Amino acid sequence: MTDNAFVLLQAAADTTRAYGEFPVIGARQFVWITAELHLMFAAFVLGVPMFAVVTEAIGIFGGDDRYDRLSKEFTRLLLVAYSATAIWGALLVFGLSTLYPRFWAYLTAIFAPSMWVYAGLFFVESFTLYLYYYGWDRWKKGRAKLGHWTLGILLNVWGTTVMFIANSWLTYMMSPPRDITPTTDPTSIKLWHAIANATWMPINVHRVIANVVFGGAIVGAYASYRFLAATSDEERAHYDWMGYVGNFIAMSALIVLPFAGYWLGREIYQYDQSMGITMMGGFMSWLWVIQAFLIAVLFLTGNYYLWIGMGRIPGAERFRPYTKYLLMVLVLGAIVWGTPHTMIADSKELAAMGGSHHPFLGALGVMSAKNTAVNLMILTTFLSFLLYRRANTRPVVPWAKSGTIIQGAMFALAAGVVLFYGIRGYFVEAIVRIGFSVYQVLAVLSCIVFVTLIDILMARGAQSLGTIQWGKMPPRSQYALFILAVTFTWLMGLMGFARSGIRQYWHVWQVMQDTSKYAATPALGYASKMISLCVLIFLTLVAFVFWLGGLAEKSTFVPLTPGASPGTRGASHVGH
Amino acid sequence: MWATNLKVVAIVLGTLALYTLIANKIPQVQSEVPQTLTLGANVTPEQLVAAGEKVFNGIGGCTTCHGLGTRAPNLLTDEKGAGTIGARCGKREAGKDCKQYLYESLDDPKAYVVAGYQPIMPTMTKQLSPPQIWAVIAYLESQGGTVDVTASDIPAASAAPAGGGGGGGLAGGSTDPKAIIQAAGCLACHKLDGQGQVIAPDLTHVGSRRDAESIRKKILDPMSSIAKGYEKLAGIMPKTFGSMMTASQLEALAQFLAAHK
Repeated sequence: MTDNAFVLLQAAADTTRAYGEFPVIGARQFVWITAELHLMFAAFVLGVPMFAVVTEAIGIFGGDDRYDRLSKEFTRLLLVAYSATAIWGALLVFGLSTLYPRFWAYLTAIFAPSMWVYAGLFFVESFTLYLYYYGWDRWKKGRAKLGHWTLGILLNVWGTTVMFIANSWLTYMMSPPRDITPTTDPTSIKLWHAIANATWMPINVHRVIANVVFGGAIVGAYASYRFLAATSDEERAHYDWMGYVGNFIAMSALIVLPFAGYWLGREIYQYDQSMGITMMGGFMSWLWVIQAFLIAVLFLTGNYYLWIGMGRIPGAERFRPYTKYLLMVLVLGAIVWGTPHTMIADSKELAAMGGSHHPFLGALGVMSAKNTAVNLMILTTFLSFLLYRRANTRPVVPWAKSGTIIQGAMFALAAGVVLFYGIRGYFVEAIVRIGFSVYQVLAVLSCIVFVTLIDILMARGAQSLGTIQWGKMPPRSQYALFILAVTFTWLMGLMGFARSGIRQYWHVWQVMQDTSKYAATPALGYASKMISLCVLIFLTLVAFVFWLGGLAEKSTFVPLTPGASPGTRGASHVGH
Repeated sequence: MWATNLKVVAIVLGTLALYTLIANKIPQVQSEVPQTLTLGANVTPEQLVAAGEKVFNGIGGCTTCHGLGTRAPNLLTDEKGAGTIGARCGKREAGKDCKQYLYESLDDPKAYVVAGYQPIMPTMTKQLSPPQIWAVIAYLESQGGTVDVTASDIPAASAAPAGGGGGGGLAGGSTDPKAIIQAAGCLACHKLDGQGQVIAPDLTHVGSRRDAESIRKKILDPMSSIAKGYEKLAGIMPKTFGSMMTASQLEALAQFLAAHK
């Protein structure tokens, strides 16, 4: 790029003025809100297509048409959500280029080519979505249907690639390669060198999984609202089932999410010890207590929904006595996980504490106890799913009894491995202890995989104890789905604050300092107000999107006239 | 349906309110931006200790590990019967007094890892300025020992003129032109010796276009002359550099740039 061309490119932004100001709310707040809402909508438009393409595949290969309708119903909502994503993204770019022009000039000097690719892919992604949705009824059968499903896969490929590109910009801000210093000319930095930074891939993986969780949770909230508003048993049954599928996907992906989080945390520590310590033991240490509380709400609410759901399954009553034990493990696990460990404190506070940790609770605050707690909570949640799955069937294969014993033994073995390494962790050095979490995770994942495998084989030809009575759910179960969606969204905002906040007063960690009046990173109380505001705006807009979806549906609804044949009514609905 | 809508709204708002309330009830810690510490030539030990305590408990981030006794040795309370840091620092390494040991521990922490702990401490001399480092050393010495840090320990370039209170100027008052250029952020727009942006005129050969007097005038009043080809960007160079630098800094910078022929 020539000097003159560069000057012209920068002309849109005041490049010598390092910072601008936004009226009333301030520059940082403007960028915070636009970035957060852009990210939430982006997660929605990435998570829901993953959900849609999986459910469409179940419809195609499982022959159950309900899944196909479910998939289409959600793709319809994506059309409006894409516009919202683009609008918030444009606001964010305008905000950055006018309020943080010097920083924006720095980023564009490095990443400009990837920004053009990003814009191009967003364009391609949008048109793939239009083809995917508007071609739904045209490419309905045979090979055409498989072609249509391929469009859904492509939609996910474009979306994920777009996310990976955007992730490279923000992870560069967190972990620029070590050879880059404050005096490095940004135009001399190789693009791939900046993209492939230390935290890029861990963030990519973490966000892909989190988007699946988020997509499932939003689907669950949508279904729960439609359930509560339903006027017929048939409609209620449909949305009850949809809510279950959404919750199932969200909870299944949530189980894997902590493992991706560990990887990201480890990469941060390896990149820069002081950044890791700031995150876990510095001014952000209390954040993890709040996170533990939110995770506890998610696990408890998710399990609560399943346990209530067992009320609509004939035969489930035989498992009901076990739920109190499951609840006990979850509550104890949540308490241990929420026990503070290394709180930032001044000398007076340290003296008042006795110089170290709490004499009793300090032992529960270390990672050995926390890893043990979370792994046992995951195992417990999996057991809830298993009981739910088995509720209305009785296996008839000759090896059913021994199969169940083997499954029980696998649970016991996994719990044993988790407990063993949890206790052993207290007697070894930190560097050895960190490695123990891998064994704990492997034990839990192996248990989940093998127990599920045995269960699928055991369910062959199983005797049915009655069909699931979809729709026979008390309203409180649906409110639980709302709490899940709100909590997932709030947690996303909180983790976003953690990721961004650990840079503290740096735009780019130890390369470009934030010298604006907003350079200090706010305390959690202030951040929580901003997060709540963002979540509220997001949910309000999502409710609007859902309402628009409902409007479109109603506009194609032909009411039954006295003279019309009842047989025509089914055909008058679109989307069901 | 209105009742259902109201319930949904109440649940959403109630959940948000609960999380916000909890986050506001816990201790509130804000991450502050490090402030430049300027110490006068006649700074007293008490002033050094007071400044060091602020750095230790604040921007230094020392309390994150030290004082807890698990990640790093306890500095403010007794550590395994050896006393507080001021009492034990002089006995840690043979041939090194307390001041020397503490400085080297901050400059090269991996060389002095106490048995039983991991080498996780960052190099503090890269994170804190020399006055901050010496203030922290004075504070640590005050924890059970004798403070022997004086203004003469602090590098001259970092110390403010006698009388304290901060002599002003960029880069802690340093007259090193490169430090001034770095602190003023000149390279965000100008290029110099292959580094920086090319938004404003390249300064690599500025000495062949302007003499020291012209450069001095340009810094003090950026609108006094506009380089050819940059008319559209006239008026965007900040007019505040003159008031941000000391006279000696302005002179050092002007001479430095004028020498770039």
